[in-house]
Amino acid sequence: MSSLLSVRDLRVRFRLPGSLLSRSGKKPAHVDVVHGVSLDIERGQTIAIVGESGSGKTTLAMALCGLAPVLGGEVYFNGRKLDRGKNSRLNPDRKKVSLMFQDPVGSLSPRMTIRQALAEPFLIHRTGEKNPEEQALRLLSLVGLNEELADRYPHQLSGGQARRVGVARAVALNPDLLIADEPTAGLDVSIQGEVLNLLARLQQDMGLGIMLITHNLNVVRHMADQMAVMYLGRFVEQGDSEKIFKRHRHPYTAALLSANPCLDPELRLDRIELTGEVPSLLQRPAGCEFNTRCPRVQERCQLSFPETTTDADGHTFKCFYPIGQAIEDPPYPSN
Amino acid sequence: MNTPVLQIRDLSVSYRTERGLLQALRHVSFSVPEGKIIGIVGESGCGKSTLISSIMRLFAPNAQVDNGSIVFKGRDLLGLSPDDMRSLRGDEISMVFQDPMTSLNPVLNIGRQMADVQNRSGSSRVDKRARSLMMLERVGIPDPVSQLSRYPHQLSGGMRQRVAIAMALMTEPSLLIADEPTTALDATLEVQIIHRLQELQRDFGCSILFVSHHLGVIAELCDEVIVMYAGEVCECGPTREVFFEPRHPYTQKLLECDPARIQRRTRQLPVIGGSLPNLVDLPPGCIFRQRCEQAMTRCATNRPVLSADVHRAACHLQDAGS
Repeated sequence: MSSLLSVRDLRVRFRLPGSLLSRSGKKPAHVDVVHGVSLDIERGQTIAIVGESGSGKTTLAMALCGLAPVLGGEVYFNGRKLDRGKNSRLNPDRKKVSLMFQDPVGSLSPRMTIRQALAEPFLIHRTGEKNPEEQALRLLSLVGLNEELADRYPHQLSGGQARRVGVARAVALNPDLLIADEPTAGLDVSIQGEVLNLLARLQQDMGLGIMLITHNLNVVRHMADQMAVMYLGRFVEQGDSEKIFKRHRHPYTAALLSANPCLDPELRLDRIELTGEVPSLLQRPAGCEFNTRCPRVQERCQLSFPETTTDADGHTFKCFYPIGQAIEDPPYPSN
Repeated sequence: MNTPVLQIRDLSVSYRTERGLLQALRHVSFSVPEGKIIGIVGESGCGKSTLISSIMRLFAPNAQVDNGSIVFKGRDLLGLSPDDMRSLRGDEISMVFQDPMTSLNPVLNIGRQMADVQNRSGSSRVDKRARSLMMLERVGIPDPVSQLSRYPHQLSGGMRQRVAIAMALMTEPSLLIADEPTTALDATLEVQIIHRLQELQRDFGCSILFVSHHLGVIAELCDEVIVMYAGEVCECGPTREVFFEPRHPYTQKLLECDPARIQRRTRQLPVIGGSLPNLVDLPPGCIFRQRCEQAMTRCATNRPVLSADVHRAACHLQDAGS
């Protein structure tokens, strides 16, 4: 059986503002925000995308929903190739992929009550639903909210409640794939737990595939089956999340994992502190793109770009000198 | 022992709302010793922001102080004239906000903003510029000279927050209040900023009041921690003790909930059942009672007070145990 979602070598390119004349100079006319990303999501599985701000996580999510300009690559959903033509809006697959936006209050219309907001998906997609308002109440109870909230406006909700409404809206049309962009950012720990438990429950009940975008690694550890680490629009390491937590190969993953602040005030980890800033997407470094901040950088890293290496268990990474291998050894993959 | 930089005694602040008087802070007492980093943790709605605005005396129009004092270096801030208070703000007490993009002025370049902060120093433009450069270097900003002519939107999130910290420390304040300064940042930057703050605190010898809901950051950075719930201090003490032996059931719950603490992978994360009490119509007795699994009959009627130890908790279980 084919995967729920399969992405091959996806690229997203944005055009930069500026006139034709200014383009004649050296200024680049485009910026590649997502650069050759491939991934598979199975039904009932969660894949987490981690990386710093500006690494292209959200753009990737947008592209999968048809909200960002795709330059190249292929996306298969339920085994069918998604067409990115002009009529993609009418594509029946659109209601099978839903997106939960980062800012829960901002993504709800301030002038619609929760009832209206929850009934809207049924009207937009003309599902023939006779009583969308009843559906709205069903969705509210599905995410564990009181029916009293139906007539409130978004600004009258707490952060956790707004988040739940976001979840309700996302699962309204029984999607197969839910893309959750930072579903817990800015939430307190106990409310964060509630939202994540809700997602896990819905995943079990509805067989949802979930793509979780976050930079909270503790959340990834508990929620994700697979994970991908993104840096400057590329996946630098990808595989089974438990394995990556235990035995990561890319130095950037190592730095990310070690940066995770720890609850134990006694414990002082051997922290790998990254120096410098994330390079600009407009001036990607030559060679390996992490070489400007990598603690293991060698001469070779500045010259050529490391190809993807695949371990025996399907764990992939892009690095010449991965962790677990002495720097004196010949570069990896040896070719 | 030397006198604390900031001492808050029995502070109660409430807001006049349509539904009645919302008691946002009730009988809050704690002190910030000289040269220490004190963390305040608590979930949204616990009164962290009200506490900060009380110290800065930047109250919302509908706020009122019902009781208590805020003594900063021997002077009660609540009794100062607006002019005296203004001369303290930004000079003796400065602040770093959560979102550096909105706390920096988007239409002025960094150099101009940093010079403006030094307005009261009366030094020359050349001196102000030199001092700005020195501060930018201290907070670890590469190539400070070119940064001075840039605007906030041209900087990355981590750089902006470092500029904000540089500006806050420029006047060498005795107290720096940091309100969730790392919430908007990624994990790698968060660590960089925390270490930078620790270094700067040692160099400048100021005290820091660090507000966050991120328990890991507090554990790593702070000497002492204050746990707040629904407008009350429920536990305070040295960070190590509070994290290793939390005494208040709320602190215990809060620590249990953090997914970082749970070593084994789990799909079902623990949560604190129930919700915050209504602060307009306060329940009698202990404020945490309705969500507490260890509540006793006494908790329904008597409000627990903070015990007298170094590591203190406001809970009836404390006196029951001893």
